[in-house]
Amino acid sequence: MSEPARRRLVFAVLAAALPLALLSALSLGSVPLSPLGVIGSAAARAGLGAPAPLGDVGEVILWSVRLPRVLIAALVGGGLAVVGASLQSLFRNPLADAGLLGVGPGAALGAVIAVNLGWAQERFLALPLSACAGALLALLLIYALAHAGGRPSLSGLLLTGLAVSAVAAAGTSVLLVATEEFRVRTVLFWLAGGLEGRGFEHAALAAAFVLPGVAALFLLSRPLDVLSLGEEEAAALSLPVHAVRIVVFGLCALVAGPVTAVAGSIPFVGLIAPHALRGLVGPLGRHLLPASFLAGAILVVVADLAARSFGQYVELPLGSVTAFVGAPYFVLALRGQEGRE
Amino acid sequence: MSGLVEARGLHVARGRREVLRGVDLALSAGEALALVGPNAAGKSTLVRALAGLLPATQGEVRLDGRPIGSWPRPLVARRVALVAADDEAPARLRVEDRVALGRYPHRGPLAAFTAEDRAAVARALRLTQIEHLARRALGTLSAGERQLALLARGLAQEPALLLLDEPAAHLDVRHQLHLFHVLDEVRRSGVAVLAVVHDLQRAAWAPRMALLDRGRIATEGPPAQVLESAAAAQAFGITIRGVTPGDGGERLWRFEER
Repeated sequence: MSEPARRRLVFAVLAAALPLALLSALSLGSVPLSPLGVIGSAAARAGLGAPAPLGDVGEVILWSVRLPRVLIAALVGGGLAVVGASLQSLFRNPLADAGLLGVGPGAALGAVIAVNLGWAQERFLALPLSACAGALLALLLIYALAHAGGRPSLSGLLLTGLAVSAVAAAGTSVLLVATEEFRVRTVLFWLAGGLEGRGFEHAALAAAFVLPGVAALFLLSRPLDVLSLGEEEAAALSLPVHAVRIVVFGLCALVAGPVTAVAGSIPFVGLIAPHALRGLVGPLGRHLLPASFLAGAILVVVADLAARSFGQYVELPLGSVTAFVGAPYFVLALRGQEGRE
Repeated sequence: MSGLVEARGLHVARGRREVLRGVDLALSAGEALALVGPNAAGKSTLVRALAGLLPATQGEVRLDGRPIGSWPRPLVARRVALVAADDEAPARLRVEDRVALGRYPHRGPLAAFTAEDRAAVARALRLTQIEHLARRALGTLSAGERQLALLARGLAQEPALLLLDEPAAHLDVRHQLHLFHVLDEVRRSGVAVLAVVHDLQRAAWAPRMALLDRGRIATEGPPAQVLESAAAAQAFGITIRGVTPGDGGERLWRFEER
């Protein structure tokens, strides 16, 4: 199959799979709703067909409980996948990922600082914004440390990420001990990563950051492609290398910070989605980034469905589900890359 | 003819070390120049300074008679293409997409590619004779083929000046011959070509040669004149003797330790 034909096929499959995943996630759960009823209820909201086909309880579950949660899952997954793909172009390494690069721990530290100082309770946007700041600081720190001795190797990058993540995690622990008890549970809950009890205000918050951030990263597709050729070649092609890097870092933090603030840390999504797609749609940003958004959204919607379908009374943390799937994938991918180096 | 690109008393430092110490060199349209010199003479630095990538600490580089630092970067990249020896592009990137990135200085981050861009890419692929590889991923190519794809990216920029830093470094002899043949065609189309060439015999491909030694142009002129000069012998620390073959072919050189 020629590459354009394969690419069209992949986009068709992803575009079909996302609504299917959303519909499944809206229908399945402790109270099952019929998929046709879900579609009917959506049609009724749009002014078509009889109102409230799911009954009063069903309607509340669908519109107040499941829909915001599923929307957040899609935004979180899509956002993390696009951030992963962008960072991979930037670091010119297919295994760079927001989680491995300390973005998650950095964002978590920022969020815990906001909770500890009481900002999060006073102002609605304080938590996501300080998560953004934490993510950005972690990225800049890793970038500066890893590039101190020239172009970083994969191991240099991962180890630097590990070190910065460890420091951020340690800071988070210290702050947790110092945080008043009634706030600690909120933080712990949230650090594990999950979407339980998230409502429309969280969905709106995620959308307000993720959608513009992702759109801006889409617009930077071509500069990211040029940058992936190497610093010198990019500069010789008139790309303002450092400015582009700083802007991309800022946008990645803008997306990953609020995502972490809303959903906690969801590891490996930014790694798996772009990694699996690069071979299918090629490495050019204008194909890889949109495809990663769709695949990441599908991945987290399905992972969240799995997290809440696992037991009858207990929900698995979403972050654990993606880690259980993602970590083995990462090990295999790492082995593949080492084999080529 | 006034120079397309000209270095005047050019000093360039890398870190604290002054690598170029007063280089004077000019190149006109359609001219080919081989830049030779021992290791650490500053050849790569000179090439990058001529591309406007390294600032002068003293002296200047002029492009079309204007200081290169006063040019907007995209305009420099439309006039000057740099092709280095190492290709760091992603292995999954396809040849035609790699070459198309050479249009970045013309189109910038957002503008859609036009028929003109597609024509430039097609021309670059044709000139380097890698049209049959256009849809292959870079990772599946030989070193020689990758080097040609890198050269094609430079040609897709449609530069007036093509700078090459040891373009033949990883190539076997057949690919080397092909590469220099392509460079001849490029030059004939009116582009100025300046190539750093390690292999002195191969460097005689250009009608003009410049010897860079310890940050200065020690001598320049026709290859035989440069290679058989005392300056060349001193710069490389060897004895160089020219021989014209009995069959009247191109002049050859023998290199011997002193």
